Amino acid sequence: MTIRLLRVVALVSACAAWSACDEKLSTIAGPTPNLEPTFASIQHDIFESTDSAGRAACTNCHTNVGRNPSGGLNLVHDLAYDQIVNVASARKPGATRIIPGDPDNSYLVQKLEGKAGIVGNRMPNGGPPYLTDGQIMILRRWVAIGAPRN
Amino acid sequence: MKRLLTLVVGAALLVPAAVRGQTPADDPAALKLAEPDFNVIGLPTSLRLPKYGSAFRVTHRFTRALNDGDFGDVAADLFGLDSGAQIGLEYRFGIAPNTQIGIHRTSNRTIEFFGQYAAIRQSAGRPVDVSALVTIEGTNNFKDSYSPAIGAIVSRTVGDVAAFYVEPIWVNNTNVLPKQLADDNNTFMVGVGGRVRVRPTVYIAAEVAPRTGFKPGVNHGSFAIEKRAGGHLFQLNFSNAFGTTMAQIARGGSVENDWHLGFNISRKFY
Repeated sequence: MTIRLLRVVALVSACAAWSACDEKLSTIAGPTPNLEPTFASIQHDIFESTDSAGRAACTNCHTNVGRNPSGGLNLVHDLAYDQIVNVASARKPGATRIIPGDPDNSYLVQKLEGKAGIVGNRMPNGGPPYLTDGQIMILRRWVAIGAPRN
Repeated sequence: MKRLLTLVVGAALLVPAAVRGQTPADDPAALKLAEPDFNVIGLPTSLRLPKYGSAFRVTHRFTRALNDGDFGDVAADLFGLDSGAQIGLEYRFGIAPNTQIGIHRTSNRTIEFFGQYAAIRQSAGRPVDVSALVTIEGTNNFKDSYSPAIGAIVSRTVGDVAAFYVEPIWVNNTNVLPKQLADDNNTFMVGVGGRVRVRPTVYIAAEVAPRTGFKPGVNHGSFAIEKRAGGHLFQLNFSNAFGTTMAQIARGGSVENDWHLGFNISRKFY
């Protein structure tokens, strides 16, 4: 009887473990509940969309549609990746917009976080609202895992 | 940390050979002088609980680091007693022979349920006790983040003098971040601990929990002196982490070389 009980407990525990007791990413993503650490998701939910908190889409200004891209950064759909990953900043000499694997030194991350030493305003211009801590955490994760084109 | 591990292993080797062959009493209600409690400090022991017996434990880990400031500063705070603490309350019950279940709640609103089954008893032909351990804990009063654990407690008591433990334990969901934001979400640790009876009712104890997988901060480590008084055990301990549940122990301590005063008080009801 006891051994049977133990087996049941062990089985339930194993099932619980395999069912991946994990936190939901959406609880961190805040106003962009579908945001994931992939380029496609970041492009859709951060670059191209105004979120439910009112944070402006980056492509409001960083586009060549009807204007010159602000700061020389064009984030329109088919160009965005090649405009940011391993590309030097047009405004701050020596800075690189996204350095794969190094979110701390990626200038785009610094601009979104409003770090000391950035040239110009914290992005999005006109904020707040800015990206939430959770949104930035997801962006940083994408950079940390190598900024893949996924 | 290596010193603590060396102390535990060294104590095992220093025990007189004459007492190594002795076996513990078979009655789970009988006092086991070498294994007077259900925990070393934070790690569980293989002590069996009689059917329908129970036990209660209070854990207290003061948050002030003893190495924060000079001796006068620390003494002025009464070695941490003036600061906040993480407090745990625990109750366990023997539901069947060799089988116990329990609940442990810590003041950061984590609730842990655990079960333990004593599968093998140390005897003349079996050099060790082996118990199976399963736990599941949840933060925010068991409403948010769940961390199940499964493991074994392998112990060797040495006469009435000492008991030593090796406890391989796997804990799932130790990382509080979603898996998309983390490299590891599981921790495998091997708890190593021991308790030596240095006076008829006085013990010293120590434990460490080296880990692999998700292992932020420093490995859990703790040492203690304790006094048994009837069904009570009063323990004064020094730890580098506040953890008393499996996931908390797996997450280790946050700052290297920070040590904190704490105590455990336990009471058996059988």
